[in-house]
Amino acid sequence: MTQSPPPPDHPHTATDLLPQRLQRFATLFAAVAVGIALFGFLAGLREPARAERHAPPPADHHSAPPAVGYADLPTATIRPNASWDRSLSQLKFDKPDVFAPVVRTDEMKLAALADRAKNRAYDGAPPTIPHPVDAQSTSACLACHGDGVKVGDRVASKMSHAVMTNCTQCHVEQVSGPVETTFIGVYRAGQGERANPGAPPTIPHHTWMRENCASCHGLVTRPGTRTTHPWLTNCTQCHAPSAALDQVEFTGGRK
Amino acid sequence: MPVLEATRRQFIRSAAMAAAASVVATRSATPADPPKPPGGIELPVLPGVKWDKAPCRFCGTGCHVQVGVKDGKVVAVSGDRQAEVNKGLLCVKGYHVGHILYGPDRLTTPMLRKNGKLEPITWDAAIEVIAKRIAVAPSKFAFYGSGQWTVPEGYAANKFMKGGLSNNHIDPNARLCMASAVTGYISTYGVDEPYNCYDDIDHCDVLILWGNNFAEMHPVLFSRFIDRKLKGDKITLVDLTTRHTRTSERADHVLVFQPQSDLSIANCIAQQVVAANAVATDFVDKHCTFRKPWKKAGDPQTLMGEPCTFDEYKQFVAEYTPDAVAKTSGLSVEQLQLLGKLFADKSKKILSLWCMGPNQHTQGTAMNNLIHAVHLLSGHWGRPGDGPQSLTGQPSACGTVREVGTLSHALPGDLRVDKPEQAAKAEKLWHLPAGRINPKVGYHTVQMWEQFCTAAGDIDTMWVQVTNPGQSLPNVHKLFEAKAKLPNKFLIVSDVYPTATTELADLVLPSAMWVEKNGVFGNSERRTHQWFKMVNPPGDARDDCWQTIAVARKLFDLGHAGMKDADGKFLFHMTDDKGKEVEAWKWENYYGTVNVDEKLYDEYRPFTQIKHKDVAPYQELTKARGLRWPVVKQPDGTWKETRYRFLEEYDPYVAKGKGVQFYHSVAGDDKAFIWFRPYVPPPEMPDKDYPLWLDTGRVLEHWHTGTMTRRVPQLKRAMPSAYVEVSREDATALGVKTGDTVRLETRRGSLELRAVIDGRGRCPKGHLFVPFFDETKLINRLTLEAHCPFSKEPDYKKCAVRLVKVSA
Repeated sequence: MTQSPPPPDHPHTATDLLPQRLQRFATLFAAVAVGIALFGFLAGLREPARAERHAPPPADHHSAPPAVGYADLPTATIRPNASWDRSLSQLKFDKPDVFAPVVRTDEMKLAALADRAKNRAYDGAPPTIPHPVDAQSTSACLACHGDGVKVGDRVASKMSHAVMTNCTQCHVEQVSGPVETTFIGVYRAGQGERANPGAPPTIPHHTWMRENCASCHGLVTRPGTRTTHPWLTNCTQCHAPSAALDQVEFTGGRK
Repeated sequence: MPVLEATRRQFIRSAAMAAAASVVATRSATPADPPKPPGGIELPVLPGVKWDKAPCRFCGTGCHVQVGVKDGKVVAVSGDRQAEVNKGLLCVKGYHVGHILYGPDRLTTPMLRKNGKLEPITWDAAIEVIAKRIAVAPSKFAFYGSGQWTVPEGYAANKFMKGGLSNNHIDPNARLCMASAVTGYISTYGVDEPYNCYDDIDHCDVLILWGNNFAEMHPVLFSRFIDRKLKGDKITLVDLTTRHTRTSERADHVLVFQPQSDLSIANCIAQQVVAANAVATDFVDKHCTFRKPWKKAGDPQTLMGEPCTFDEYKQFVAEYTPDAVAKTSGLSVEQLQLLGKLFADKSKKILSLWCMGPNQHTQGTAMNNLIHAVHLLSGHWGRPGDGPQSLTGQPSACGTVREVGTLSHALPGDLRVDKPEQAAKAEKLWHLPAGRINPKVGYHTVQMWEQFCTAAGDIDTMWVQVTNPGQSLPNVHKLFEAKAKLPNKFLIVSDVYPTATTELADLVLPSAMWVEKNGVFGNSERRTHQWFKMVNPPGDARDDCWQTIAVARKLFDLGHAGMKDADGKFLFHMTDDKGKEVEAWKWENYYGTVNVDEKLYDEYRPFTQIKHKDVAPYQELTKARGLRWPVVKQPDGTWKETRYRFLEEYDPYVAKGKGVQFYHSVAGDDKAFIWFRPYVPPPEMPDKDYPLWLDTGRVLEHWHTGTMTRRVPQLKRAMPSAYVEVSREDATALGVKTGDTVRLETRRGSLELRAVIDGRGRCPKGHLFVPFFDETKLINRLTLEAHCPFSKEPDYKKCAVRLVKVSA
């Protein structure tokens, strides 16, 4: 015969209400919970760890307004900058639905090409960097440009080429200011050739260093150059590249 | 607390979003407007663009580009995928190289200074002015050229001076750039230029950079190395530097040393290799001898030195122990031991690369000797990926200066003016009467400008082609700007844009550049490149080479005997296929029935065979993306380039069974020298009055004096003006913040600049760095003209300076 438990001699505590085999973990659990909370609180109080700041961009930088120094905080007027157009909490990483119908007019295409030309000397030139970057290290580039990011209407394009690690070899930051030149670069590649109306066009530009079609034609890009059929990802199945533009064959010089 | 926690989290999240939003590509909120070209011209599209190959116009790497031309204009550029050097990639300068033709202020007409103002004149008048000026006093004329001269341009200028005017006062800006590498090679191997090539970058296990900010100066080669890490290669980058740079950022070991202590560091490596019993005895016994710089310590050092025994050598390096060198070099004993251990370990292939650090050095020859020495001594020499290789900064420093011999002592093909039997060889090849070549070595760059810029100096007419000495000479107050007060000195400048040099010019000649003319360049790895003219130069601009030939012809017409060869024919006599003389001195014929470049190149080629530097036939070059000499004809009629000289496996000129043969060795015994060169203090060091070191150099976006790159919007906007890099410690001590205006003062001049704490690089305490590309901020008013006793190359990397805060 089993012995019944002795009658309780004091009122029930919360611990008493737990199943018996969990009771012995309760103290430990409570200690861990308090510990985490305390650590979290203290960690939260601390200055967030960040790399030593390098030289701030020059004051006339076109995109980033200078931050207010700590010393000037009490007297500074702080208000949203010019490009503040929505509540930040509403901004989210948004990637269009692959199967959503794509609207693409000629006007949008021209607008996209014009926008593209803004930070390229010619079609095929490495784009310049339209935002401040670390002058000494390129370790942060891939955070956004590895896969591409779209926040609101701001786009960080996915790299069009395979990963190379010396980003600033080709891509450089810009400050504003006029520099005169009479160079007029190739503005765009033109149109691909179609065998007959409705046939897939050939690729009108070189694909060397632009192997990643989605960089310009994918979902996270300017609406005007977006493909109408993003669900088909084997692009060169239908769109033939140009061996000549891709310098596939060794071309000699000339007489 | 939960409320506080929630707010904090929310705040952090929104801050992160804000940061992300500011970093993500900025897009204008206004509707996109298509780019507006000037004058409403229709924008070119890709179809109809014609492509052709050319080497890049900028540095010594020698990348090949494909140039896209439409309607007579360059409209696009692409990396050349067939080019072994760059494998289809370029740097940001290379991608924008097409722009350099299209600055709005291109020089388009000859101009003569009248009453202090430059006024347009005709080409005929300009050529006559020069010819008459030379005819009056041929020996007081000097020609200042460039490592950007094409091979035919440099060859024509050299022949005109040494073979025509019997005047050796011709020197190039490359004197300021790689002269120390030349003396280093000659005094080590008996013959100039690297034995190895860029293939080493693909094969080495360890890359040691000696004072070379590789990531910014030779970015394509740097990436060729560093991207190997992505492929999983186990490679180590050791950065020996005086300031933390983008290169250091990627290095495995960053060794920041005190200026000038590189001499001690190299000797310390040798000391450790000896002490560890790691001398490559087999290799050294068979292929090397030891060399000391004097008969006895204390005597002046000489270029070729004296023989010495291994025991003597051991004693010389013995004092350079890691403990001793740690006290003076700024490196720790551990860092020095790291270097020693690397060289003592034969299993790892070590590539040493260097450029301006060891070259622009008052002990430049010594530093070059020592880098070769540590490699030879330890046996890290002769395997692909295992050896020392110097780089150059100009596209044809090797091709036009070193090989064509546009230096004041040299003749094409590594011949010397002061060796009668060698001068006779040149006279024979040029078909000149014996004794035409003046046996006295001419003025080197610094001397030449000293003579030109002092009233009593015996140079009174100077012709500058393809370079900008008004900005690039050291101590420009003394060596260039002093000319302003000397009305009898006459400065002729051939250039493409107004520069610091044309400011003081008496006659300005507008030149064609890059693909506006035919050309041949030679890069750092013995590769000879060729390209064809693709577009016309603007206005009345003409080839530099034509200018030289036209002046020579005018002198011929004026009766100057030197302009005739032994048969009385013109110095630049050329015939077409039918044997009819081509009047190449007339511009309308210059791109006519013959390719003048090819004619000059064919005439030059036999010189290169004298010291087994056979450059390829012109027609072979037209088909290739450059070929590395010696290029030797094979039994089947094809031409083969040489990747490694002196190694039997690669070099057809090594005798069978020799393995390794230094067939131009100084002593004639087929052996290279392992040099000892002691530490020598620099001529100027920081002191009480001028307490900081000043270092000058380049940045990625700009090339040399910025004449071209500052006219490219994408490059200028990336780096609009020069600045001074100040260390955090010095800035704090002086109360200087980023953006403040400061004044740099040396014993030679002063300059106001914007201060940047940690700019492109991070200077250690006590050092300043200023790039020299900005013509509005001439840092060379401050630098020192002290130079290496053998190479005569000045040191732009170290002088004493003080920094004064001007305004916040």
